[in-house]
Amino acid sequence: MSLHKIKNIDDLHRYIYAAMQLEHATIPLYLTALYSIKPGTNAEAMHILRVIAVEEMLHLTLVCNLMNAVGGKVDMSQKGFVAQYPTMLPDGEDDFVVDCQPFSQKAIEAFMKIERPADLDDGSATIRRKSAPHPVLVACHPYKDEDPELHFFSIGQFYKAIEDGLRVLHAQIGDELFSGDPANQITSEYYYSGGGELTAITDMSSALRALDLIAEQGEGITAHIFDEDGEIAHYFRFHQLFAGRYYQEGDEPYKPTGPEVDVDWDAVFPAKMNARMTDYADGSDLREQATNFNRAYANFLRMLSFACNGNPEKFTDAVGEMFKIKELFYLLMRQPLNDDGSIHAAPTFEIDAVLEGGA
Amino acid sequence: MTRQQSASFLIDAQTAFTTDYDVVVIGSGVAGSIIAKQLAAQSKKVLVVEAGPGEDIQLANYEKSVERFYTATAKDGNAAFSRNPNAEMPRGVDTVKLRDGQVNDRGYIVQRGPLELDSSYTRAVGGTTRHWEGKALRMVPDDFAMKSKFGVGRDWPVSYDELEPYYRTAENEMGVSGNVEDQHYSGLRFPEGYVYPMLRMPPSYLDKVVAKDVNGMTVNLGEEEFELYIRSTPQARNGVPNRNYDGGKGYKPRSSVSLHQADVGGRCQGNTNCVPICPVQAKYDARRTLKDAMDTGAVHFIARCVASKVNIDTATGRVTGIDCKVYSDMDRPAHTEGTVKAKTYVIAANAVETPRLMLASGLQGRNGLMGRNLMDHAYLLTWALMPTPIGAMRGPLCTSGIEDLRTGDFRARQAAVRYSIHNDGWGWATGAPHTDLDHLIDESNLFGAKLQDALVDHVSRQILLDCMIEVLPDESNRISVDDAYRDALGNMRPIVSFDVPSYSLETAAFSRRLTKQIYARVGAEDYTKYSPLECGYVSHNGEDYVIRGGNHWAGTHIMGSDAGSSVVDSQQRSWEHKNLFLCGAGSMASIGTANTTLTLAALCLRTAETILSDLVRD
Repeated sequence: MSLHKIKNIDDLHRYIYAAMQLEHATIPLYLTALYSIKPGTNAEAMHILRVIAVEEMLHLTLVCNLMNAVGGKVDMSQKGFVAQYPTMLPDGEDDFVVDCQPFSQKAIEAFMKIERPADLDDGSATIRRKSAPHPVLVACHPYKDEDPELHFFSIGQFYKAIEDGLRVLHAQIGDELFSGDPANQITSEYYYSGGGELTAITDMSSALRALDLIAEQGEGITAHIFDEDGEIAHYFRFHQLFAGRYYQEGDEPYKPTGPEVDVDWDAVFPAKMNARMTDYADGSDLREQATNFNRAYANFLRMLSFACNGNPEKFTDAVGEMFKIKELFYLLMRQPLNDDGSIHAAPTFEIDAVLEGGA
Repeated sequence: MTRQQSASFLIDAQTAFTTDYDVVVIGSGVAGSIIAKQLAAQSKKVLVVEAGPGEDIQLANYEKSVERFYTATAKDGNAAFSRNPNAEMPRGVDTVKLRDGQVNDRGYIVQRGPLELDSSYTRAVGGTTRHWEGKALRMVPDDFAMKSKFGVGRDWPVSYDELEPYYRTAENEMGVSGNVEDQHYSGLRFPEGYVYPMLRMPPSYLDKVVAKDVNGMTVNLGEEEFELYIRSTPQARNGVPNRNYDGGKGYKPRSSVSLHQADVGGRCQGNTNCVPICPVQAKYDARRTLKDAMDTGAVHFIARCVASKVNIDTATGRVTGIDCKVYSDMDRPAHTEGTVKAKTYVIAANAVETPRLMLASGLQGRNGLMGRNLMDHAYLLTWALMPTPIGAMRGPLCTSGIEDLRTGDFRARQAAVRYSIHNDGWGWATGAPHTDLDHLIDESNLFGAKLQDALVDHVSRQILLDCMIEVLPDESNRISVDDAYRDALGNMRPIVSFDVPSYSLETAAFSRRLTKQIYARVGAEDYTKYSPLECGYVSHNGEDYVIRGGNHWAGTHIMGSDAGSSVVDSQQRSWEHKNLFLCGAGSMASIGTANTTLTLAALCLRTAETILSDLVRD
């Protein structure tokens, strides 16, 4: 499973665009699960999901910083940027399907699979490796057209390829590699979460540090529950929901000893899995609301891109859009789709259709 | 609840009563928590005693409090907290307009009047910072020298310049958002290059609309003319970190407190219920400081433990122990008793509870000043409807105000004042928006779309200007106790005697005139009215006013430079009991026109140094 090596700046930009898609791919999944939880219930589960979603956004923003740093253009409003669910994600030899679905034990299992560190299986993980081939997943195929054989790879190899590419190009053209305007960088004034620092990328060492953070922290390369900064890896954050307990310093994997996590798996809107516009009748309120959602989400991505193109102070406006998106989530999730209310509506994330000006 | 958790700092009564501590701190509010943290950082063995139920260290419990507030029918400052007969707090529903000679004893605080004070405080982990608004204003230099400068009130035994470094530490500890550039008025001074940890809360749309017509407006007070400006108000609420803070090191905002990783509250989101509870914990509360103290491992914390008597060695005057009552059930008075012991004692139970405890212990002091010189800010509220929608009800509560009258020669004759523009409409004055809904239905007979439109139109144009008026220390304003009034645990309840003198009412009258002018300038229609039936009603020079309490209780263990005329010295040490420190706003010798929290935090940081040198020396 070898990847096309990065040989020039265009290659690098294409890879980084793929990384942006990768980091974005889990956000609709986590948000759908988060907002399917009935408000006023499952406070702990909501927080866990919310924190993880926010950390994915941190990674996404760091990748945008990287794109900007090497003179690329950040544009998340392009067609094809947002994955279409269900999507097939590779897991070493096999694929598995990832659905956009409401909060449930099945959903959390799927999320754990997405975030699963590779060396949990052999149990020998005591050393942190920067590029362990662990099977997190990519919903995009940078070389699909050119070489259909190469459309499965692991995130470890993927970020390793980006790192190698940076080194190769840096050896060729030196600091000219970082030709981007530093004013485009989004820094932690404009972004906040517990998940780590949002740092400007302006040179080789800051680029490598950022890649380090992205590749390691969220996806949890090793079986260590807490990373160097004391942050819990996503995999174990999710596991807390199954175990019904929080992890504390000194705990072993699968044996958390912290305070209880109360989960009410039934206090969830039964949102339709992988909803489509076609699930909603032509001319119905639901069709309109689902369209509004997709428009709002597309707008959000447009605002993020705008912020990343030399207007960092507008980043907070984009974050503000998330409140609107949350409202629209609930608006859809509350509404029954069928007569007995056993299925509710959900956003469809068919962003391309909205970009075409259709639907 | 907390007692079931494995956190090792939470101890039981048995441990509290049988351990010898370096310091016992009564009260886990901002005063007690700051002192505990400073001492614990130097590995001193500290016990923090909290009368309240001790919940809300966990995120889940905190959010239950938010839910409790959302579902409360009476939304006063303590609406997030259950009734606890064993450690009661004042509640808005208990206040009444007093008639002559009448005593109101139906609430926890007994009000002897003549003016009923509708102020409250909170007995829970973190104290009143659990419901405060979060304004973090410094007092101005003149506030510390009222007697020398204006011939009224008292001088502090410490100056603004001596306290200034501690103000900066307090601003760091609490995480203040503000722009230093907006704060150059009334003699306030900062070291060269100083900036607040975080950038100012963005001025609201309303602030900007008012500023257009008010900036540069002049007003005469006494012999002087003042130019008025709308300035951003520093507050202990998370905003954008200032990259220039601390020599370029920047600042990392602290967010929610929990025993596990929680990460909520990194930024203010614009919720409007700052008082009484921030849904996302973007507002500072003392649990953050307390958690730091507990993380050192040097602090024990016991909740549901109410201090009931301070024991003194009559020969030396030193405190030998503090008797406490420990209850397990909020609804049952059954309790165990014991005595906590330490080398040094800190009572930081707030400016009502601290003197209450001392008086209940028979310790009124040779000069009889314990509990006297009670101060609170007299608030006059004014409200109007703006000509066009200004987006009321988007928080935080106040982002800007008028600071230009915080000092001046006029203070020889009448009180200083500052004004806040409220972003939450008429809420504080009328109970908006709920009361607007009632009014539109009952009086205007609206329903359906018309009701919706009217509600939006009406509420979104609401402006309220509060006038925060200084009150001077007066010995007849006081906290006292009486055997006739006891709580469920048998502890004596505080009795408040309070009146607002002409010195302050003159400024209330001035402020009413000024706010009328301001409303006229911005084209707003004035809706202010004061009814003789309301709690806090006073008549002054033939005009009606309603004075609301500021929740800034102060002065009741006043500091001074000699034992004859004060209760504590400049380090908050009791003159008569050398190993006892009475800490908090009760020590303040004046309140000026600043919310007391930032100043009391600065005082306590200073006090902690003295306590440490005591412990080293002894």
